[in-house]
Amino acid sequence: MSVQIEFVSAATLANKTGAEKIRFILSTVRQDKIIVLEQALTPAEEKELITQTMGSVSKRFPGIEVSSLSDAPAQDLRSMLIKMLGGKTGLTVVGPSNLVKQIKRDPGKLRLLTNG
Amino acid sequence: MPFHGLFAWLRGLFGSRKTFSLGLYGSTNVGKTTLANRISMDWTGEPVGTVSEIPHETRAVQKKERIEISVDGKRLTMNLLDMPGIATKVDYREFVRFGMKPQEAQQRAKEATKGIVEAIKWLEHVDVALVVMDACQDPYTQVNLTILGNLEARNIPVIIVANKIDKKNSKPERIRAAFPQHRVVEISALKGDNINLLYKEIAKTA
Repeated sequence: MSVQIEFVSAATLANKTGAEKIRFILSTVRQDKIIVLEQALTPAEEKELITQTMGSVSKRFPGIEVSSLSDAPAQDLRSMLIKMLGGKTGLTVVGPSNLVKQIKRDPGKLRLLTNG
Repeated sequence: MPFHGLFAWLRGLFGSRKTFSLGLYGSTNVGKTTLANRISMDWTGEPVGTVSEIPHETRAVQKKERIEISVDGKRLTMNLLDMPGIATKVDYREFVRFGMKPQEAQQRAKEATKGIVEAIKWLEHVDVALVVMDACQDPYTQVNLTILGNLEARNIPVIIVANKIDKKNSKPERIRAAFPQHRVVEISALKGDNINLLYKEIAKTA
């Protein structure tokens, strides 16, 4: 079974509202694709993603697996500069749960296990 | 307010009661309803809900209002809110594996999704949150992080409950290590171990 992974740049989502962002993620995931966002979702967006996912659950689409590596506290000069300029680091991975069995997380690492 | 201190002193003197809402949050099957029942039984003699090994047994917010507790001379009145477990997926086939008929399983899944949405909506409306985690499981899940992230964003006081410490494979220290910024109380809701420590922490926080 082939697995499609889409990497989405921060710029692609920059002009989207929160609701548009969630719609974009869910429509991608519902096409049996795994999506990797260059910029991590905020807790509020994650909450909205779960809420919208619950509204989409069906026999064919049982839900999602999601995990984020959020902004670590800025410790080095580069991270501090990125933060000062309004930039964000981190990433979010979202996949359909019928394809992604689990996303295991260590504080600084995500490991994605697929079904089959 | 110049008389604030005086009022506080008088309230303390006459044993005033503060009312607050206490929400129990967490993933499925971490022991939220067992804990809600423990709290409610201890102070009212009545349970809140039924417990089951099948996930999503609690599919609507269960409330027990006006529970009066007294800890170290502090008297409090709380509205206890036992939330449905939050999850990112609800697969009806999981319920079938527990012996349910497909139609019944699909109905349960539908109700579970609504329960999750309801629990998420309530995230903004509790005064104190107990985030319950199974001390035998990896605490570093996205559900735990999302719950905590949203509570922190709204400055809602959080107490993390490391539950199921009566089990041999429990490792509550993993929870402490994962969330060093929060207070963690290690308990067994089933056996009642350390439950008084939790009451003290609630009284301190509310």
